[in-house]
Amino acid sequence: MKDDKLTIVSFLCNWCSYEGADKAGNARLNYPANVRVIRVMCSGRVDPEFVIQAFKEGASGVLILGCHPGDCHYKKGNYKTLRRIYLLKKTLEGFGIEPERVRLDWVAAGEGERFAKVANEMVKTIEKLGPLELSEV
Amino acid sequence: MAERIGVYVCKCGPNIGDKIDVDVIVNDVNSIKNVATAKSHNLLCSEDGIKFLKSEIEKEKLSRVVIAACTPKMYEQKFMKACEEAGLNPYLMQMTNIREQCAWVTPDKTAATEKARSFVIAAINRVLLQEPIEKKEIDIQPDVLVVGGGVAGMEATLTLAQKGRKVYLVDKSPCIGGLGARFEEVYQTMECAPCMLAPEMQDILQKENIETLTHSEIEDVVGSYGNFSVKIRKKARYVSEEACIGCGACFEPCPVEISNEFDEGLSKRKAIYLPFAGALPNVPVIDKDNCKKLKGEECNACEQACPFGAINFDDEDKIIEKQVGAIILATGSMLFDPKSIPRYGYRKFDNVLTGLQLERLNASNGPTGGKILLKNGKEPKSIAFIYCVGRKEKGYCSGVCCMYSVKLAHLLRDKLPDVKIYNLYTDLCLPKKEHQRLYNEAVDKGAKFIRSDGTENVTRVGKNLVVQYKTDTTKKKVSVDMVVLASAVEPDESTEKIAKLLDIPRDEQGFFSEEHALMKPFGTPLEGVFIAGSCQGPKDIADAVAQGGAAAGRILSKLIPGEKLELEPKVAEIDEDLCSGCSTCITLCPYSATHRDEEKKIAVVDDALCRGCGTCVAACPTGAARAKHFTKEQIFAEIKEVAK
Repeated sequence: MKDDKLTIVSFLCNWCSYEGADKAGNARLNYPANVRVIRVMCSGRVDPEFVIQAFKEGASGVLILGCHPGDCHYKKGNYKTLRRIYLLKKTLEGFGIEPERVRLDWVAAGEGERFAKVANEMVKTIEKLGPLELSEV
Repeated sequence: MAERIGVYVCKCGPNIGDKIDVDVIVNDVNSIKNVATAKSHNLLCSEDGIKFLKSEIEKEKLSRVVIAACTPKMYEQKFMKACEEAGLNPYLMQMTNIREQCAWVTPDKTAATEKARSFVIAAINRVLLQEPIEKKEIDIQPDVLVVGGGVAGMEATLTLAQKGRKVYLVDKSPCIGGLGARFEEVYQTMECAPCMLAPEMQDILQKENIETLTHSEIEDVVGSYGNFSVKIRKKARYVSEEACIGCGACFEPCPVEISNEFDEGLSKRKAIYLPFAGALPNVPVIDKDNCKKLKGEECNACEQACPFGAINFDDEDKIIEKQVGAIILATGSMLFDPKSIPRYGYRKFDNVLTGLQLERLNASNGPTGGKILLKNGKEPKSIAFIYCVGRKEKGYCSGVCCMYSVKLAHLLRDKLPDVKIYNLYTDLCLPKKEHQRLYNEAVDKGAKFIRSDGTENVTRVGKNLVVQYKTDTTKKKVSVDMVVLASAVEPDESTEKIAKLLDIPRDEQGFFSEEHALMKPFGTPLEGVFIAGSCQGPKDIADAVAQGGAAAGRILSKLIPGEKLELEPKVAEIDEDLCSGCSTCITLCPYSATHRDEEKKIAVVDDALCRGCGTCVAACPTGAARAKHFTKEQIFAEIKEVAK
């Protein structure tokens, strides 16, 4: 990606989605380089504050990937994330930030193809929305 | 003291070297504040690479290290060990993945280099905020509690005892042996189950380091891996286990007769009884709900008959407390009750039996001494087996009912050479290496296998039972003397209570959930609590034994007398000054690792239970909860660079 304004920060859980991203690499599946990764132990660690911070620091989109429902390494961290992100999207909408800029999805450790697909889809979504312009508060 | 960060970018031969301009990155980051040195290496994970890394840490007096290489899933542990050996706390090292998540997914070299640079700078930002974490180790209790004395529990018990461990084997039944002890011959070896199990049971009762607590249930468990405190209710037996020699003189005079649940209701037993002949330990038990004396009536027939004064009507339940390091649950299963499906006529018509009832009829210690008899005392001339009873209702294939029916068909043909056997199946499940052969032999012995559509209906016409069924095309019926229902396997009724007691999950079907369905089928999400046998899902004897052995092996390899247990270092912690005592974290923790200190009115994390997921940290409204090695500041430091 040439337009470095369109970065997408991805929070990947250590057990499923991070491994899924590794599998995409093993299979040499391509996705744009503006998808940047931060590893967390569980998607449940993703504080809505992380998402807001990513936007503040210049990200145009945030991807949060966890284990599939029922597969969470920590039993149910991903369910907590599901609730939090739902609320966060509602809040962002109130501030005029398109909720599509945040995507929560599930990628299993073996799902390299799925990771690449989700990453590519997210890039397309964000390209359509364009860079996020935050006004100074 | 100024920080000295060493940055090492691995080329991984051509894997990274050809896709990313490593020299550009090294050059760029060299000028970043606190970076003492930045270098590339052709293969950092090699022996030479590790040596290089260690000498760099020492020579450059590094206070922190960043390694940009492959996924941390490959060699993070190896690099951490190298740091430790070079005198650097391993948590002051940060790895960033520029191979799987950069070089291999980005064909454009400029873009890949730019992305890798961003990852490396983010890691430098982060590593500056990382803190050393010391290994945490706790003293352990090497004794083990096994709940359930069936084949899985017995195997686990004996494996542990073999290595000298003290094992407490608790069984809610008055005897050990589980379901297996109630079978005659078992597939696929067709050998006598009591003969196969008796030596194991004797071993268990005689080994000094095994304490068998029958007629007992666990009532409370607190603690965590390495240190559980368990309360066991040893129910009053009213017969002294020390004084009784098992002569059986007490049975005859007892005036009470009730249905014997151990014979699936096919025989009567007294209020003082042994579940079946040969049950071990060979000490009867008085059923306090049916004993006249214990209900307040005049009777002491058994007491008078006992030559050893073993009867004790004043016996009371005892609460026994034990300290153990680990718990194996092997609480087993039972059969689905076909009464809930009226079309099978179960408990409506005589001679409609479940597979387990036929097992008892066939057993030499059963109600008929092993004779296959109808209710009227005559031998059946024809028997229909209906397969998959309850499969649709339960929503899973139990995987053992086809085989136990095929086995019973064999045994019936051996005992009653002229009996006609009709097996009405919808799908046959014959998965193991010997099972197909046993099925073929049953066919050779004359057992008929008929594929029906699973809508069998049982009615009574005169003295006979008529089973109506449908093949693909036509409605048919067969008239028989006996119908045997191959009922599904469901979890034992104690499963729910025990799951609640330990706060461990059950699956949709009610069995205990395994930690990982494939890789840890004997673990539970609660560390130190293991599952074995059919409490985890329907399984046959061989699989249950294997799982019992596996669970015991796990314990033997981790819970070693005299050694300490290493705890997860990356746990959550609570800042006492910031905690408002709202308890949000307590409600969220999947491991019950946080609790409230009522005196200080704050939350406290139990390091032995916390697995470091960070769910509580993300929810803490005051920022009092902190995730070690994944703090907000560390993540923000990464975000600052990668979001650019």
